[in-house]
Amino acid sequence: MSIWNAGEECLDLEERAQQQLERLQSTLNRAYKNVPFYRNRFQLQGIDPAQIESLGDLDSIPFTERAHLAENYPYGLFAVPLRDVVRIHTSQGTALKPTVSGYTRQDLAVWREMAARTFTAAGVSSSDILQIDLDPGLSNWGRDYKDGAEAIGAGVIPLTILPPEKQLMLLRDYRTTALVTTPSAATQFMHLLFRANLNPNALALKTLLLAGEAPDADIQAELEEQLHVKTWVHYGLSEVPGPALAFECRERSGLHVSEDHFLPEVVDAVTGEALPEGEVGELVLTTLTTRAFPLIRFRTGDRVRLLPDNCPCGRTLRRMEWLPERTDELRVIRGVKMHHQQILLLIERALGFPPKACRFFIKRQDFRDYLEVWLKVDEELFSDEVKEMERLSNRLGSGLAQELGVPVTIRFKEDISFASSGRSSGQSSRIEDLRHSPF
Amino acid sequence: MLRIRNLKCYYGRIRAINGVSLSVRPKELIALIGANGAGKSTMLQTIAGLLPHWEGEIQLEKESLQGLKPPGIVKRGISLVPEGRMLFPPMSVLDNLKLGAYLRYRRREHSQIAEDLEMVLDLFPVLRERAKQPAGTLSGGEQQMVAIGRALMARPRLLLLDEPSMGLAPFLVRTILNILVQLREQGMTILLVEQNARAALQIADRGYVLENGRIVLDGPAADLLADQDVKRAYLGKDYREFNEGRA
Repeated sequence: MSIWNAGEECLDLEERAQQQLERLQSTLNRAYKNVPFYRNRFQLQGIDPAQIESLGDLDSIPFTERAHLAENYPYGLFAVPLRDVVRIHTSQGTALKPTVSGYTRQDLAVWREMAARTFTAAGVSSSDILQIDLDPGLSNWGRDYKDGAEAIGAGVIPLTILPPEKQLMLLRDYRTTALVTTPSAATQFMHLLFRANLNPNALALKTLLLAGEAPDADIQAELEEQLHVKTWVHYGLSEVPGPALAFECRERSGLHVSEDHFLPEVVDAVTGEALPEGEVGELVLTTLTTRAFPLIRFRTGDRVRLLPDNCPCGRTLRRMEWLPERTDELRVIRGVKMHHQQILLLIERALGFPPKACRFFIKRQDFRDYLEVWLKVDEELFSDEVKEMERLSNRLGSGLAQELGVPVTIRFKEDISFASSGRSSGQSSRIEDLRHSPF
Repeated sequence: MLRIRNLKCYYGRIRAINGVSLSVRPKELIALIGANGAGKSTMLQTIAGLLPHWEGEIQLEKESLQGLKPPGIVKRGISLVPEGRMLFPPMSVLDNLKLGAYLRYRRREHSQIAEDLEMVLDLFPVLRERAKQPAGTLSGGEQQMVAIGRALMARPRLLLLDEPSMGLAPFLVRTILNILVQLREQGMTILLVEQNARAALQIADRGYVLENGRIVLDGPAADLLADQDVKRAYLGKDYREFNEGRA
């Protein structure tokens, strides 16, 4: 399979180290000059960007966390004036306020290039018809994927919010050959296909690009076997913002990180200290070329391991193994990240008062993942009219679904008990994953 | 070919360059742009060995230039075309050109020097016509050609040029820059410092933006040409906003 940009993807390792140092230093200089948040934090630590003389010195710089993105809502972390920003993205974030990120024209070109290189690595070309099916919470990625697919000349069916049955219809009728989706949505597709008595051989689909969720070897194997396709895993972050900053190549031995644009570090999730290559820890990313929205040492919460040695595919971009468990309390539903405190705050805002008790579950029904919220009914919530309770349930459910970008079901309960391990605050539990539970 | 890491240069106690990392790959034409006083010329003079007080790493083909004086650096294959040409006005064009090969005469490379002189005169035909004329009597553009020709007479692997367009009429600027493109096409590696940012970026492969002794932007030259910050600061828009920051 060919390589989209061999000059960058196969760059000599010494040249790569030099390139990363140069780009890191200019990123730090720009962030220091143009973003008060970073300047203040550097100054508090007594750090001048000129002190960063090697990639190893980066660990003297404080981390950027998701909370900082919310605190600087909407434009506090932008490093260019708004008139230079040509696209503004909103992701639902993990707090009450969404995460806002911006792109300059150059940033868009970088993302287009990165998406193009991931498609090329998966063998997608101008002779493919590529369909993008992601949940609304990942609509940012849909646009970047569309741009990248257009760059390689593929025919694109852009992200359109349609029910799975309609997506399946497009897949069949439009002769889609490559599909970008999440592993859970792909699994749902597969089951819908069989339920509709459609033979996978009747589809033109040959490439399944899986984004948004850590890979599960069993699910990948099942998808490949049942749908007669090849699957390719992509890693992305909605905050950075972009869909495919690491991708699988034909060797299927880890995901190549686009190190010419991002500097990966692996740190101990508890101590924050850098870990040696090969050890499992939290992935921390620093943007190297982003103009509008640089992120410096951003804690992703994803567990990874950087793999040693070069890949036989010829790319010198380092590879990482992406592990399913996270290092934080965020949970992922159909590629969308959420935190139980965020859901609690959204419910409180919708009700006008804090709920007495609630529990959150990720469930799967009809092969479709969704969030189920249990709310304890007390005097404030209770109404003796069923219709009133239904109305409240619908209002809460649709409001949460809109904010989070995933399907939500509300259940009222007379009493809610917490398993001791699941409880994390006065009135709510962490999000419990019951997808693989028999109940 | 040229690899610089964490360069810090001093004039007395004043730090003019503050932690610059920069690289030039073989056969690349790199533009280093920035405002007056940003440190562009300081960078070139340091690489050429003219400024002794610096820290960091400068490597040519993975060999350090630390401790080398200008003749040693010329021997390694780096030639500087200085700002303001710095010709010897009373001397003839030919003698000015031959001075560029001064170190090679000591190595008795006479026949190769003669070949190179022919190559330079082919590159700048007007200099052949004025070969015996005192260099000081030439026009600005012609003097710049002599300065470039003199640098080429050292047979450099890396050519450094400091503001070659300075003081030249627009059509002469184009002539000089076209010659740089021609040299790059012939395989020369070039690091070009220019205040005429647009002209430099139009012919360069990549560029670096230097500001107060620090690199604040780098990337493919076409990207920098399209960058709004670069446009404001160096291509004629809102200089003040860029320079004073936004915070």
